[in-house]
Amino acid sequence: MNLPLHPILVLLIFPGGLFLIASGLVYQWADRKLVARFQNRIGPRFIQPLADTIKLLAKEEIMPEGVHKGLFITLPIIALAAALTAGLYVPLFGFQPASSFRGDLILALYALSVLTLAMGLAGANTISSFSLVGATRTLTQLFSYEAPFLLSLLGPAIAAGTWQISEINTYAGQNLWLMIAQPIGFVVAMVGLMGKLELPPFDAPEAETEIVAGAMTEYSGRGYALFRLGKDVELVIGLTLVSAFYLGGLGNPLEFVIKTLALLLVLALLQTAFARLRIDQTVGLWWRAGALLAIIQLIAIVLGRNLGSIF
Amino acid sequence: MTTDTNKFVIPIGPQHPALKEPANFEFWVDGEIVTGASVRLGYVHRGIEKGAEARTWTQNLYLMERICGICSHVHATAYTLGVEKLAGVAAPPRANAIRQLMGELERIHSHMLWLGVAAHEGGFDSLFMYSWRDRETVMDLLEKISGNKVHYSANLLGGVKFDITPELAAEIHKGLDFLEERNKFYLKVITTDETFIGRTRGIGTMTTEKAEFLGAIGPTARASGIARDIRVDAPYLIYDQFPVKVMTHTSGDLHGRFIVRINETFESIRVIREILDHLPGGELTTRVPRRIPAGEAVSRVEAPRGELLYFVASNGSEKPERVKVRTPSLCNWSTVLSLAIGLKLADMPMLLSGIDPCFSCNDRSVGLKSANQDPQIWSWEKLRQYGIEYYR
Repeated sequence: MNLPLHPILVLLIFPGGLFLIASGLVYQWADRKLVARFQNRIGPRFIQPLADTIKLLAKEEIMPEGVHKGLFITLPIIALAAALTAGLYVPLFGFQPASSFRGDLILALYALSVLTLAMGLAGANTISSFSLVGATRTLTQLFSYEAPFLLSLLGPAIAAGTWQISEINTYAGQNLWLMIAQPIGFVVAMVGLMGKLELPPFDAPEAETEIVAGAMTEYSGRGYALFRLGKDVELVIGLTLVSAFYLGGLGNPLEFVIKTLALLLVLALLQTAFARLRIDQTVGLWWRAGALLAIIQLIAIVLGRNLGSIF
Repeated sequence: MTTDTNKFVIPIGPQHPALKEPANFEFWVDGEIVTGASVRLGYVHRGIEKGAEARTWTQNLYLMERICGICSHVHATAYTLGVEKLAGVAAPPRANAIRQLMGELERIHSHMLWLGVAAHEGGFDSLFMYSWRDRETVMDLLEKISGNKVHYSANLLGGVKFDITPELAAEIHKGLDFLEERNKFYLKVITTDETFIGRTRGIGTMTTEKAEFLGAIGPTARASGIARDIRVDAPYLIYDQFPVKVMTHTSGDLHGRFIVRINETFESIRVIREILDHLPGGELTTRVPRRIPAGEAVSRVEAPRGELLYFVASNGSEKPERVKVRTPSLCNWSTVLSLAIGLKLADMPMLLSGIDPCFSCNDRSVGLKSANQDPQIWSWEKLRQYGIEYYR
């Protein structure tokens, strides 16, 4: 489905910008509510994420001692901007991406990584020991899940023969669901998404019982609100990408809602099922199992394509 | 422990999400590896021992119960046993049976609380939520017996307040069936869940010799293979008629401590059932004089965390001369500090909670910095004035 809208509107209001942020808050609520119900809790009310954001935006922002002031203020903005930029290249709400060119898959993924990188830098910018340990863990985790996650998204790209998100989306919509055709890639992508979003059990970078809030410990008020919004946007974009690639593409808004929520349900279930992994266990898991599985999947795809063309 | 200022220190506490009570731990880390640890306690010193000297023997019963919010009954029991020893009276068997029953119910509630807290420290929030939900069952049972969920006030000097009626016994049986089934499930979870085993097996392993050397007690020691339990070694109440088996484990690591505590829960359930089926008849109370004869007595009981020791001294008046309490958490701190070295920072919260610490229980005394000439003796007036000045 194509949107007859001016690019500025697309960027700022719909489907990017404000609407994307609003849906980020809704998905955050859905995630929290699902996890709470799985854990036999009541969970937050629908309005809670919005209320939290408004409260944080209205709060005084405390500038801790020993930080670089410019970085402290700009890093949250860069993080949110990077996440919103990534939103331009993915088929949000089932519409065609607002912007598209050959190879935008790489750009979208790296825009999402910029968010994580900004969080790591924000932690490293302070002198708080919790933040420093959190920053180290955030960046360590970034280097561990990034390769397998990228490889798992390259599977559909190779199958579709293009690195353009919109074309992969169309390809996925016309063919057998890639979740069935490339099951290993799907599993790696799901778990990679959890690592990217720092959801339990991969929440060592923000393990509250060890390092309070990790890299975010020194942030309060506006900066913290922007980082959180960036994370929420990342959640929506990540769900969009994986469901567009592996769940048969996103053709219209209804399909988008059903597929992403189904994926979120699985994510929430996985979040509740395990104890938190230590950072060394996370890295070990990714490089020993994740990367290996993704490479096996890639080899299988390449072999399948080449053998298919021979016969 | 050295105090090298170049070390990278991770402070845990006095205010930290991992701690539910205030205490200060400093872990020196090299990357993620812990190279040193220190502890500073005493944030919740409440002057209870001193307060006990100003109250009558009976009033103290309620004060002692408030030393701990989790094992309140066992504190009152230890105190009562000490006073009864001094007074030379023995509570009737039915009273002792009910005391023991309450104590074992309390152990179940304490161990399930600990299971949840320890799981939460390891980031396993589902287990935390489920075990605390099921723990409500045993708290409801305690409420049905005594009318209270936390401070039951079941003990009297020379007996107990509450009787166990047959209807109540049936309800307890029903609750125990549910708890046994749930705990079997938890045992299955902690022995089969891969991520949980990855966080607990081989972490903080303490050999039997080391546990002996560091003076570990309670489930922490029993997980290292030391079969030491006051309920068996020096039976009090009617533990000689309804004995418990000492649950030990040989691994000595965090995983062993989980298994020991869950097995102890099963053992408690078994003993409670036995007591309910063979509850001795007779009176609930006997008479205890208002003035306790002069003398000294030591009473030892097995609290959920280990051996709890009370020293009670009387000068023959209506009030105790001295009450000294040594809680089990105090004995286990050294195990945390010595096991921490070489582990990962991520293991610290679980290692800390592995001994089931209770900070407010063990904070006994504190040296006050003198703001006037007399460093040692502070009169009530001076202390009051100091407090007013301090918070002005």
